[in-house]
Amino acid sequence: MSLLAKLLKALNSDASPWQLAFGIMLGMMMGLTPFIGLHSLIIVFVVLFFRVNLTTFLLAYALFSGLTLLLNPLMANIGEFLLVASDLNELWTSLYNSTFGQLTQFYHTLTLGSLLCSLILAPFILVSSKILVVQYRVRFMLWVNKLKIVQFVKGSSLYQLYQAVGE
Amino acid sequence: MHKIIRWPGLIAFFVITSLISAILILFLDFWIKLAVEKGLASTTGAEVNIAQVSHTFSPFGVTLKGIQLTDPATPGQNQVQADEVAAQIELGPLLLRKVIINDLKVKGVQFAQPRESEGAVYRSAASVIKEKFQQTFDPQNLPSVDDILAQSQLKTTKAIAQTQAAYTKNSKVLAEKYAQLPSKDSLENYKKRLAAITSTDYKNPLELAKAKEEFDTLRQQINTDKAKLTDFKDAVSAAKSDMAPRLAELKSAPGQDYDQLQGLIAADEVAIKDVTTMVFGDKAGEFSQYVLAAYELAAPMLASSKEGKLAEQAYDGRWIAFDDTTPLPDFLIRNADISLKWRNESVLSVWHDITNEHDKIGRPTTFKVDSSASSLWQSLKLNGDFWLNDSGVKAYQDWNLQGLALTDVSLLDQKKLSSKLLKGLLSSSGKASINKNVISGSSNAALSQLQLMATGSNHLTKVIAETLSGLSNLTINSDISGILGAMDLRFSSDLDKQLTSAILSNLSPEKSSKLADLKHKLNAKTEGTLGVSDEEMSQWLDWEKLADGDLGTVQKLLDAKLNSVVDDKKDELKEKLKNKLKGQLFG
Repeated sequence: MSLLAKLLKALNSDASPWQLAFGIMLGMMMGLTPFIGLHSLIIVFVVLFFRVNLTTFLLAYALFSGLTLLLNPLMANIGEFLLVASDLNELWTSLYNSTFGQLTQFYHTLTLGSLLCSLILAPFILVSSKILVVQYRVRFMLWVNKLKIVQFVKGSSLYQLYQAVGE
Repeated sequence: MHKIIRWPGLIAFFVITSLISAILILFLDFWIKLAVEKGLASTTGAEVNIAQVSHTFSPFGVTLKGIQLTDPATPGQNQVQADEVAAQIELGPLLLRKVIINDLKVKGVQFAQPRESEGAVYRSAASVIKEKFQQTFDPQNLPSVDDILAQSQLKTTKAIAQTQAAYTKNSKVLAEKYAQLPSKDSLENYKKRLAAITSTDYKNPLELAKAKEEFDTLRQQINTDKAKLTDFKDAVSAAKSDMAPRLAELKSAPGQDYDQLQGLIAADEVAIKDVTTMVFGDKAGEFSQYVLAAYELAAPMLASSKEGKLAEQAYDGRWIAFDDTTPLPDFLIRNADISLKWRNESVLSVWHDITNEHDKIGRPTTFKVDSSASSLWQSLKLNGDFWLNDSGVKAYQDWNLQGLALTDVSLLDQKKLSSKLLKGLLSSSGKASINKNVISGSSNAALSQLQLMATGSNHLTKVIAETLSGLSNLTINSDISGILGAMDLRFSSDLDKQLTSAILSNLSPEKSSKLADLKHKLNAKTEGTLGVSDEEMSQWLDWEKLADGDLGTVQKLLDAKLNSVVDDKKDELKEKLKNKLKGQLFG
């Protein structure tokens, strides 16, 4: 209920589709990668410092965190494949012996694998999210708003509260 | 620009990160306490307690107070404890997960101190079963003479088996060789044939040549028989040489077995042999723990810190370690002053370059103790070093302790035997080395001006107690062996011999009777073998005598008669030939 209310408010707001799309993209990155790490600090900084939509960020974070249950073994294998590749050993060794390398924790298979996967997915998620938001607003927003369930949500005190806070 | 940037968001970011940092710093002491307790506990396998932790930022340092490491073998006491540990740590290398401590000061280190409450043990330690000694002193379980003879590795049994095997082997060889010797008839035949050759008057060279041919054949036969006789004689000599030490061993074996087994009848052999270890072993072992503390504690801890990196695993994914190309080791304490507290006396040890990667720094960890006269001892000197690498530990240590005053030291507190050292002076010196984790070394501990009090509850322990009470001087030699983490100490002294003779001179009638029975049974075991051996030996000697006689006869025939006959005939023919030639030339 709360999640739906948040999403409806964000989609129906005046926020630009890019803001919403960046929120989804960064939420995806935050959700897929391990919580503790330098990358998380950078993502949080970007989300807070730039006008990224916090609602879509949090929703995407929750959604993709759930997906990690399925994706983690695959992403860890990708990280392991890269870290044990003999051609890359020199690069990893020099990075391992640097302060920056230690801070990134790149030598953790899941961290490297998930970060790489999320970076590859990022542009696709960004563009597709933006298109979906625009299409939603143009084609489905009016229809969705007429749905009884949506009207029920909008009539709830929780939605009113979100609306009030948002304004 | 302000459409993209959210300034309140930046403030929020700093507020959030500052808040997290503040929480971390606020509870930094708690995190350090938790990390050190957990880290040390995983190394020692038992509960670790730290009373108080504090830190400073400039220079970055941590101070731990009231550190206690539970002894996993005896959870009621601490393996080691320290009043205070203060370390100054370099912050830069910490980001590379390298702990570089420039100065470490450890105060009030004590070993084997009682804990307020029993510590938790996470890994079971090999415990010493002292009940074994209880059984040792129980006179009810004395074995019977037959049991002793059946279970013991007797020298008598071994000597009998060896003697019988040697007799069988030698008799077979000699019998075979004796059967091949020339008979009396053969020798008579030789004599007759020789007489025939020597008594014939040869008229012409053809007859002489024929006689010479016969003579050579006969000589060859006699030589062959002579070789057989010589061979047989040599075989008899070899058999006698082989048997002599075996027979001597067989004759002395019962006596030796008796000496060895009488301890089992009198009490328990183990009990007598190990009295030095039993009475002084615990305290001597405790002392060794002090002097070998560097190996027993520091080295395994350092080794395990190295293993920890490899064992680190995450639930999802895993950490992969790459070659460390930085010149710094993972762990290094450049200088350390460790103060050991013992009976209100403080002993300062100075350490340099404590690390687990000596190959990286290119020098060993060194430590030194040089304590002058104190209220407890006259002098204490200890020097050592160790070098850890992938092939194990290489270390050396020597020590010299003079005039350590001992008072009221409880040595043994058992139900059947207890002893206490009331007063004494201990001087000890020794050296120990480790190569590829194998410990070797020796030491001696001279106890003088001894005043021992001992009490026993049965006949045996009373004799031991009496002997102990009469001691005024004792030198205990120790052999140090084993592997790192499982050091083995063996003690020896003349106390064991003193006790054996004291025990044997105080035997009960029942035990004396058992001893007599033992002696009788041991002697009976050798009687049969010795009897058979005497008969066999007599036969060999007879054969040897006969062979000697025959050999003499044959030699006499060969040397004296045959040669002279042939030579005479040769001379005679030569003379005839000369005369014939003279006649033809001058006649």
